[in-house]
Parts: sequence; C-alpha cells; structure tokens
Amino acid sequence: MFDILIKGGTVVDGTGAPGFAGDVAVKDGRIAAVGPVVTGEARRTVDARGRIVAPGFIDPHTHFDVQLLWDGAARPALEHGITSIVPGNCSLSLAPLKAKDRKVLVGMFQQIEEMPPAAFTEAFDWTWEDFAGYRDAIEPGLSINVAPLVGHSVIRLWVMGADAQQRAARPDEITAMQNLLRQCLDAGAVGLSTSFVDVDENARPVPSRFAQWAELDALCAVLGEYGRMLQIVPEFYATDITLARIDQLAELSLKHGIPTTFSPLFDSAATPENAPRALERVEQQFARGARVWPQMQTRPIDISFSLLRPSLFFARLPTWMRVLRLPAVERIAALKDAATADRLVADAGPDGGMALMGELIVRGGGEAPAHLAGRTLAEIAAERGQDPARALIEVSLEHGLDVGFLAASRGHDATDRIGPMLASPFVHIGASDGGAHLASFATYGDTGYLFSEFVRAAGAFSLEGAVKKITSDTARIWGLKDRGELKPGYAADVVVFDADTIGRGPERPAFDMPGEGMRYVRDAIGVETVVVNGEMAWERGAYTESKSGVICPLN
Amino acid sequence: MSVAAALDDAVVVGAEIVAGHDGAAELLVRLRHGNGALGSVTLDPETGFDLLRAGGADSLTALVGRPWLQIIKDL
Repeated sequence: MFDILIKGGTVVDGTGAPGFAGDVAVKDGRIAAVGPVVTGEARRTVDARGRIVAPGFIDPHTHFDVQLLWDGAARPALEHGITSIVPGNCSLSLAPLKAKDRKVLVGMFQQIEEMPPAAFTEAFDWTWEDFAGYRDAIEPGLSINVAPLVGHSVIRLWVMGADAQQRAARPDEITAMQNLLRQCLDAGAVGLSTSFVDVDENARPVPSRFAQWAELDALCAVLGEYGRMLQIVPEFYATDITLARIDQLAELSLKHGIPTTFSPLFDSAATPENAPRALERVEQQFARGARVWPQMQTRPIDISFSLLRPSLFFARLPTWMRVLRLPAVERIAALKDAATADRLVADAGPDGGMALMGELIVRGGGEAPAHLAGRTLAEIAAERGQDPARALIEVSLEHGLDVGFLAASRGHDATDRIGPMLASPFVHIGASDGGAHLASFATYGDTGYLFSEFVRAAGAFSLEGAVKKITSDTARIWGLKDRGELKPGYAADVVVFDADTIGRGPERPAFDMPGEGMRYVRDAIGVETVVVNGEMAWERGAYTESKSGVICPLN
Repeated sequence: MSVAAALDDAVVVGAEIVAGHDGAAELLVRLRHGNGALGSVTLDPETGFDLLRAGGADSLTALVGRPWLQIIKDL
C-alpha cells in the first residue's frame, strides 16, 4: 500500500522532459512509482487533476540558520513549494561557535538578517558549539530539508578568536581551520561559504574578509577531499572585480575539483554591460572545465525608505536632501514649516511630485496605519486633495516619520533581458536571501515569480524548463543525493501547483518573529500541496504537524 | 604609474541612484579616466552621502565634472 497517491495531474518530473498526464506514488519517504497510470491502494489520495505535479523546489541561498531553531518549516518558504533550503551563506553560519563568541556572531547575523534581538535570547537555547551539535539542535524539528553551509567567518572566529577580524592567519591556524572544516563536512555541511563584502553591526569587515589567498586555497583543498561547494559573495557592485573573482573561483574549482558559486549577480539598466560581461566570463571558465555558477534572483529589486533616515532616493532633489539630512528634531520642524514644505513640493516638480512619487507604495509596519498599507501615494494624495509630494510629507509627519515607502522594481527588473539570462544553462537560479533582510523587504516567493513572470507572462521558459532549473539542476549543482526529480527511489519531495495561478502574493508585514518582531513576507499563490520526504507538510492552505525534514544526504 | 596618478585624471561624468541589493537607494558614480576608459563605482547610502558632502554637492548633477581624486581626498 502506498502512503500517498497523487492522481491525475500533469507530471513534470524535473528533468526538463515534457509533462505528461499521470500519477505519482509515494511510500516510505520515497517516490515509489511514476507513470501514466499507477494502480494500487494508498492511505491518502490527492486529486491533482488540472494541476502540475513536480519535485519540490530547492532554494540554494538562504539565511534561515536562526529561524530553523524555532520554525522547522522556514515559513513561508515551504508553502511556496520549497522543500529544501541551503542556509549558512555569505560566510555566516551558527556553527561551529564557541559560547564565548556568541555575542560577536549575533551582531553579524543581526546585520544581515535584521533579526530582532529577542530571537537570540528568547526563542531557543544555545545547546551547541560544534557543527554536529547545531545539526542535532535543528534536525528533530525540521519539516523542510536543509543542506547547511558552514561559514568561513565562524571557522576563523573559532580558531583565531578576536584576531579573526584583524589579521591574516598563520600556517598553524590555517591547518586548524582545515581540520575544523573537515569536522563540519563530516557532520553534514554541504560546503563552505565566504564573503568579500559583508560587514558586522559596526560596519567592520566580517572575519572571512581578512583571509589571504593561501587560506582560502587551503580550505578549498579540504572541500576537494569531499567534492563540496564553495559559495562566495563577490564585490557584485564592481564588474571588473567580479570578473576577477570569477577567475579566482575557476582556479580553485579546477585545482581542487570543486563546484563554486557566487551570489548575487544582478542586471541593471544603469550598468547594462555588467551581467552580460560576467556571464561571458563564466562561460569561458566553464569551457576550461571549471564550475563557477552565478546565482541570479528572479525578483526585481525595490527601493525602500522613510523620512526617519536620509535616503539617496531624494538625491536628485537638492531641497529635499538638505532637509532630510538635518538631525531628526530639526528635520521634523523643517517639514512642519509651511514655507519649507511649499519649497519641497515645488522642488518635486511642476506636477507636485506625481511623476517622481506618485507610484510610491506605502508599506505596512512601523507606524503606518493599516488602511494606507499597499496603496500608492497618488491614490492617497487624490483622496486627501493634495499633491503627492505634500501627501508624502504630511502622512509622514502624522506618524512620527515612521512610514515606509516603496519604489517598486527599480533594479534587476527588465524581464526581457533577465529571462534569457535565467534560462542560460550557466546560470543558477537562486540568491533569494530567504530569512534575511527581514525588516527591509520580503525574500519569499521568488519561485512563484519565476512562473508568473518568466513562464506565463514572458515565455522565457517552458514550464518544464523552469521546474528543472529549481529542482534537478539545483540538486545536481549542490550534490544533493536523490533529490530534484520525480523518479522511483528518489526522496519524495513533491509540490502540486496550479500552472495558471502560481505566483507570489503582495508584500505584507507579519509580526511573527520572536518578541513580536516584524518582517515582510509574501504569501504563496497557487501552491496546493507540498510533500516532504513522503509526508504532507502543507495542504489546503495550512501547515501540518509533520516533521519529516532532514539534513540532506549528499552525493 | 601609481594608483593615485592613475586616478588623478579621473573625472565624474555622471551620477545616478540605483537600487541596492538590500533595498536601499545607492549612488552609482560614472568616471572617465585620463586614458578615456569609462568606469563606475557603486556606493552604499552612507558612503554616497559622504561623497556628496565631500564633493560639496547637494545634488547629483553637482558632482559631474568634478575630479574624482579631489573628491575622495576629502572623504
């Protein structure tokens, strides 16, 4: 008897092969049968008529390290159809970590994740120091699969203490780091992450940035013993440096026989040559036999700001710049001054700021009243009988300036350019940053956006091609054993979705972080059933009690 | 040629606001070097504000035409 029989759907098996009408049977956590008609009794039958049945999606770039300690589903990732995640990116993981160094690492995590302090003091007990201990802490509660990276910064911190953020390592310290990395890989780490960019809460470079080439080379030699991944954050804001990093990764890949990946890679109208140049270099390195996977996200980049802090959003407007750079008390006084406000409105353009500000969206959270959240400034201004610029000022003043505004799709937003890049066999779809930037924007729903924007709207992918990109391709790149395909014997990670509607909901504030902390999320659209290792993890719009997630076995 | 000498002839030929990785507005400065090569540098908000202040500019257009080295010396 099967545990679950998913009947009558269109089976898109993750290989890129054309979908076919058929059934998928699951037993003992594995795919038991796939075919046009699968017969046999089952404890549960899922009617998938009119729906797509695909392997669970895999998100290779997340920062769910902390959240997994109290939320084994990495909500809302799982409800978007994601059944496996890779945390520990960008040189930061929660292990190995000595008790004395916790405070230091928390500062780095808060900088990246914007996690409220209560998350580190109230939501879980620190029971571990080594990587195996962290694994033991999260694995019993998992309902999503996890392939954790170990962070270079924490390995340095363990071996060098405070010196990790001050100097290059000595040979004996490099040897110690190698041994520590081996322990982490033996405990299930999928690879090593490092960063050339990130900073801590005091704007100091994270420890990995103090490593010299010999150190990274030595650590990659250990990765080579296991065939594991090196993930880096390059200086993505500077194309020439990114090209140099691609070349460095290629040398490490070839020398040690390892896969490498860098993230993020953005397209930009301001620098349209950047992404194509990087991809050209990647293709050249693949032609040499290197494996250097650029990660590109699907979603556009939004700009967010409030009048609480100066934002370069106003850098085109000298009058606004002068006022908004005043200390807070003086800034509020200036904004309240009628003559100053009149000058600001005039400076916003003869249309009262309609062109520049009319499409700004009021974000939820902060002091923003709920009835304004999600509405455009043009709508609000019309309702108030004001110009958009004046509405922006007055709405902000009415709520202590703590009203967020969002300028949507201001970068990485040219679907006609990005679609072909995402479809390139040399591009790895990723870089969602799930679990990070909590108070800045939602990092969820990129998979839904892949289907709504790049499959349905733009036709840049076939449905089968898009599914392959975020399932079997990802599993292959990262060496996840027996995942990413609907194939007998493979892990039964399955998502059932509506091809006509799958997408991402609007960004909304959610107050579900420890200590009533706020984050922005997006709800899933069109995802009906998510099965993880043969158990229902999400169905009929709700999470189940299943804890069937595992630390991913690796090839 | 030293780095400083190489930068000595670099002039700002454009500046614009771009969307940063973390959702903040960032400053993209375009440079033309003495040999005619064009380049750009993207600055996070804090550095972008510092640069505007160092350049004595209260708008993006005020940066255009300014020698790059002169601006960053005042950072």
